[in-house]
Amino acid sequence: MALHLRGMIANVSSDLSSGASSESGALVSKIQIFEPHKASLPAMGPYIREFWRRRRFAFELARFTDKAEHLNSPLGSVWLVLNPLLLALIYFLLVTIIGGRGSAGSSRFDVLAHILVGLFTWYFAQNCMTFGGASVTAGGKLILNQAFPRALLPLSSLIGAFQKFMPTLPVYLIIYLVGGALDSKSKLPGLNWHLLWVPVMVALVAISGFGLALLFATMNVYFRDTSKLMTYGARMWLYLSPVLWMPEMIHGWHRILIWANPLGPILAITNTVWIKGENPSWTLWLGATGWAFGLLFIGGYFFVSRERDFAVRI
Amino acid sequence: MTLQYASKAEMPEGLAVRIEELSLRYKINVESKMTLKNAIMRAGRGEKRRVRTIEAVKNLSLDIPHGTVMGVVGANGAGKSTLMRAIAGILPPTEGRIIVNGKVSTLLALGVGFNGTLSGRDNIILGGLAAGLEREELEERFDDIASFADLPNGFIDMPMRTYSAGMYGRLAFSVAVNMTPDILLIDEALSTGDAAFKEKSFEKMRQLCLEARTIIIVSHALGTLNELCDKALWMHQGNALAFGDATKVTDQYLEFLNVGKVPSALEDF
Repeated sequence: MALHLRGMIANVSSDLSSGASSESGALVSKIQIFEPHKASLPAMGPYIREFWRRRRFAFELARFTDKAEHLNSPLGSVWLVLNPLLLALIYFLLVTIIGGRGSAGSSRFDVLAHILVGLFTWYFAQNCMTFGGASVTAGGKLILNQAFPRALLPLSSLIGAFQKFMPTLPVYLIIYLVGGALDSKSKLPGLNWHLLWVPVMVALVAISGFGLALLFATMNVYFRDTSKLMTYGARMWLYLSPVLWMPEMIHGWHRILIWANPLGPILAITNTVWIKGENPSWTLWLGATGWAFGLLFIGGYFFVSRERDFAVRI
Repeated sequence: MTLQYASKAEMPEGLAVRIEELSLRYKINVESKMTLKNAIMRAGRGEKRRVRTIEAVKNLSLDIPHGTVMGVVGANGAGKSTLMRAIAGILPPTEGRIIVNGKVSTLLALGVGFNGTLSGRDNIILGGLAAGLEREELEERFDDIASFADLPNGFIDMPMRTYSAGMYGRLAFSVAVNMTPDILLIDEALSTGDAAFKEKSFEKMRQLCLEARTIIIVSHALGTLNELCDKALWMHQGNALAFGDATKVTDQYLEFLNVGKVPSALEDF
C-alpha cells in the first residue's frame, strides 16, 4: 500500500514561497526536520538551545500559576511562610515536650531554629517534587497542541518553588537573630562569615529540586497515582532526614541515613552553617554536590528520553 | 521533540512540507487506570502489561507546496490527527522523516485555555511563549487576536473556565491564525463558533492562502472542505487512499461512506 504522491501537485512558483517566509523572522529555524530518534535521547545541542530560548515561558507560567492560586486565596503569600512556621512549631513541641529533648542544659530555641531552617529548606525541595510531579499532566492540552522542549514545564515548577522559598529566608533570619539574642542559653552563632555559603546551598537545593521535578513529572505521566503516593513518601523522607533530629545525633553505620539520602548532605550543611556556625566539611560538600548533579542527570535523562511519549500518554 | 537544522538544499523551493515514507506507531496502555498500584498488583499476579500497538500512519509520502490548502478526510481512527501532530513536531516519526519549511501554527487541541483559572489574555501569552514567540511580539499581536475572536464584553480578562465552548473555540482559532504562520494546521476546529464566525474564519483562511501560506485542515464537514481546499487527502486506517483535487477526493470518500467499503480501484493505489 506504499504510496508516492510526490510530484503530483504542480509546484507553485518560487517567488510565492519566498514571500511566505519573509515575514516570519521570529523563529530561529526555518527548515525543521523531524526524524526518528536513533538513540533514546534527541540531539541535546538543539534541545538545550530551544530550552534556553523559551525560558521566558517557564517564568511566565510560574508567575501565572502563582497568580491563579492567589485569586482563590487572598492570604496566599502569607500562608507560604506561615505553613512551615506552624508545622515547625508542632514538630518542635513533639521533639522537645514529648521527646524531652533540649531540657539538659541546651537551649530549646536552638532546637526550634534547627527545625525551622531544615523545614524551610525541605519545603523548597518538596514543592519542586509536588509541583513538578503535576506539571506535565497539568499541561496536557499545551503538550497536545504544540512542540516545545517539555522540560520547560518542570523548570517552571522549580521557579515557582523558588519564589515561594525566597520570602522564608528573611523571615527565618529575623527569628534566628531575635530569638538567639533573647534566649540566654542559646549557642547560635548569629551573623557570621559562614552564612556566605547560603547562596551556594540554595543553588544546590535548586539543582536537586529540578532533578526531582523532572523525575516525578515523568513518573506521574506513567503512573497517575504517583502524586498521591508522594504525599506519604515525602513525609517518610522528611522523618529520615536531619530536620527533626540533629546530624550529630547519629553515629556509626547509622550515618548512612545522611549519605544515602539525596537531601541528607545538604541538610547537614544547612545545620552546620546556621546552627553551629562552622565551615561544612568537604565531604559534606562533595556529597551534596554529587547528589544534586546526580539527581539532575538521572531526572533529566529519564524525562528527556521519554518526553516524546508524553503526547500519546496524556 | 527532535529539531534538527538543515541547509535549505535538502528541500526543493516552493515546498512547505515534505513527508518521506512516514510511518507512525505507538503503544497504548489498555489498562483501566495507569497507576503504580495496578502495576504492582499485576506484577504480583505475574501478568504482563496489556498494550496495543497502533499503526496510525503507514508509509506515507507526500509533498505539499506553499500556498496549498489541503483537507484531510477519513473515518475516525484513520490517523488524521496523528499525522497532523507529526507535521507539527509533537510526535516524532517511527520511520521516515518530515521536512517542514516555515513557521508552524497549530490548532490541534484547543491549545489555549489549558489553564481554566487564568484569563483568556494570560492563556494567549502562555501559548504564544510556548510556541517560541517573544513577549513583546505577543503584546503587539494581542489586539488583533482579541478583536478577531470578538468575545463578548470583558470576557478576555475573565477566567477561561467561564467561557462557553463556542467562545473557547473562537479564541483558540484566533490565536492560531494570528501568529502569521507559514503553515497552519487545524484539526476539527471549524465546528465551533456560530455561522458568522465561521464565515469570518473562512475569510481569514482565504486571506492566508493568498499570502501563499499553507493550510492543512482535518474536518468531517465535506462541504466546507470543498469550499476551502484545493487538494484533499483521504486516509483510511493509516493508509493514504487518495490524494488530489478536493472535490474528487471528497466524492470518493462520500461514496465510501455510503457504500461502506473501500473502492477496489483505490485499494492498490
